[in-house]
Amino acid sequence: MTPDLVILCAAGMLVSVYLMVGQKALFTTIRLYAGQSLLLAAMAAMMAVADARPHLFVMAGMTAVLKGFAIPLFLMRVIDRIGIHREIEPFLNVPASLLACLGLTVVGYRVSTGFPEGDVGVTHHILGMGLSTMLIGLFLMVTRRKAITQILALLTVENAIFLVALGITSGMPLVVELGIFFDVILAVLVLGVLVRRIVARFESMDVSRLSKLKG
Amino acid sequence: MTPLLLVLLVPLLTAALGALPAPRRVKEIVVLGGLSLTFVLCLAVAAQFLSGVMPTAFGEALRVDALSALVIVLSGFVGLLSAAYGVGYMRRNAARDVTAGMRREFDVLTPAYVFAMLLVAVSNNLGILWIAVELTTLTSVFMVAFHNRDTSLEAAWKFLMLGSLGLGFALLGTVLLFASAQGRLGEDLDALNWTRFVELGPQLHPFTLRLGVVFALIGYGTKAGLAPMHTWKPDAYREAPSPAGVLMAVGMLNGALYCLLRVHLISQAALGQGFSGGLLLTLGLLSVLIAVPFILIQWDVKRLLAYSSIEHIGIMAIGVGLGGQAAVYGALLHMTYHTFAKPIAFFSAGTLAQLHRSSDFKGIGAGTLTRAPLASMLLLLAAMFVTGSPPFSLFFSEMAILRAGFLGEHVVATAVFLAALVVLFCGFAYQVGRLVLGARSPEGVAPVEPERLDFGLGVTLAAAAIAVASTFYLPSSMVTLIRAAAHLVAGGP
Repeated sequence: MTPDLVILCAAGMLVSVYLMVGQKALFTTIRLYAGQSLLLAAMAAMMAVADARPHLFVMAGMTAVLKGFAIPLFLMRVIDRIGIHREIEPFLNVPASLLACLGLTVVGYRVSTGFPEGDVGVTHHILGMGLSTMLIGLFLMVTRRKAITQILALLTVENAIFLVALGITSGMPLVVELGIFFDVILAVLVLGVLVRRIVARFESMDVSRLSKLKG
Repeated sequence: MTPLLLVLLVPLLTAALGALPAPRRVKEIVVLGGLSLTFVLCLAVAAQFLSGVMPTAFGEALRVDALSALVIVLSGFVGLLSAAYGVGYMRRNAARDVTAGMRREFDVLTPAYVFAMLLVAVSNNLGILWIAVELTTLTSVFMVAFHNRDTSLEAAWKFLMLGSLGLGFALLGTVLLFASAQGRLGEDLDALNWTRFVELGPQLHPFTLRLGVVFALIGYGTKAGLAPMHTWKPDAYREAPSPAGVLMAVGMLNGALYCLLRVHLISQAALGQGFSGGLLLTLGLLSVLIAVPFILIQWDVKRLLAYSSIEHIGIMAIGVGLGGQAAVYGALLHMTYHTFAKPIAFFSAGTLAQLHRSSDFKGIGAGTLTRAPLASMLLLLAAMFVTGSPPFSLFFSEMAILRAGFLGEHVVATAVFLAALVVLFCGFAYQVGRLVLGARSPEGVAPVEPERLDFGLGVTLAAAAIAVASTFYLPSSMVTLIRAAAHLVAGGP
């Protein structure tokens, strides 16, 4: 039972990142990120029960609280505060993007077969989906021009790395995980501050305007 | 309390004190005092290591071996030097656009940065290492954005995006390295200690390890500014205030190289020298080559220094990548000499930029020697250092790497490297020569302020004296340290 649920959650994460690629409204993208984080938390909790690893509960709880609620709320507040219009303008249109993401998924799955036990069962799926999610996150990062969407892409990549970590090792030592969470929070705060400064200066959060420095 | 813990606590406390409101003089004394104490403690830790007792703390989570000892001494030195120049920098800026709030921000950021740098160098744990590197990134973002210009924000944004992405890769690399042990490491804190990875060596799962090493090298390579992940560097260096520029160009560079070396050591223990060595050699060579055209067409003196920094991390990576005790010794010697030499370049260029309120060649205008003779002379001296001209120190370390390269198996790569070095020498000398000695343009750019021998220039002179002295006399304990570190990296016990 549990393995199927775990795979379902991982698949949900992959689907959420596909939806992000196809999505144009900024707020929906943030909600998708929140949902994705909650799925990750649920997965960690299930693995904690199944493998009797209590420290994964801590990770699940922190993921749910911080990435599921705190960070999305913070980002929404930043957007509200700076009052920009809420459409995403990608460099590449949606159908082409989705096609590219399909290719990236194949690559992710292919790479996952090289790992020990990477071509069978749960590990295969989690690794495949984790790597695919990461690649698509990277893709989102280079094709989006709004500052907030770039942050979301970065956070998605980070979620995907946790997914890979869960699939391959069932998590790292607790102290390290706590430190990483702390750093992610700090990074989001720094990014938020920077976005505010950029908007105050340029009256826009379109990062393609940041193009004076060359050579 | 052991010196190892104090060396981390003192800068942290200094940063906390830096946040308090106080008269400027008091703050200057606090920051300088704190970082001087830190440097002394760094020396104490290194001395403890040399006396034969390996300093450790929290089990083995913090551990100082030869490489760590070398890096913390250099970091402590750079931290102190940068804070001292920072005092001069802020005094010059006092009448300008720098507010009390910005000054306070600076007083917090510098010691905090030093703390993160030192934590990088003493952590035995790959997880803590990653966290410390992330801390250096977050601190330096504010340094890059410090002046709050359009271009500063652009540079800070690029830096944060690329830096975070690089660190994401490094994190994935760490996860994969951990996974390659297939549960043999357990789940305690010490499971991520690199000493335990090295012990496991060949038992690590090869595919997972390879992938992990590639990701970790790319990730930490981004922080080091190895090509092709170097693109944040010129922007960040141009926008950061010069004292912060030195922290990044020397402190972060050494720290990132240290991370690369740790990953290299793990990979070496399991897969032999060739795999990560080959990668480092390729990235290093690419960095040196990519610096060539950009130095030739450069339009800004601080960006010029950034490309020179890309060149130098490339040289160090090549030294490590070539493998063998001699080449690695050359690389670590290069790191040491570079640490002593680079601050002169940043400080003198920073002084010129401050006097002319621009760091672009156009804004400064050719022929600075007549307007700001002292800073110009120092910049010329710095150019001799960083281009590796004899009789200055970097010449010897570059020769050591080249010699090891030609005697080793990578003769072609070494030949290409040598050719690039020659062109880089000419390019850098041409640019600096044009700026300092060139004929004044007809309309003539008048200096905004005349040059005065103030605190900042005094620090630059002191840095120059130290760099010249280090050329001719390196303390024997330092040489022992470098030798021991080279022995460690080149695959000794």
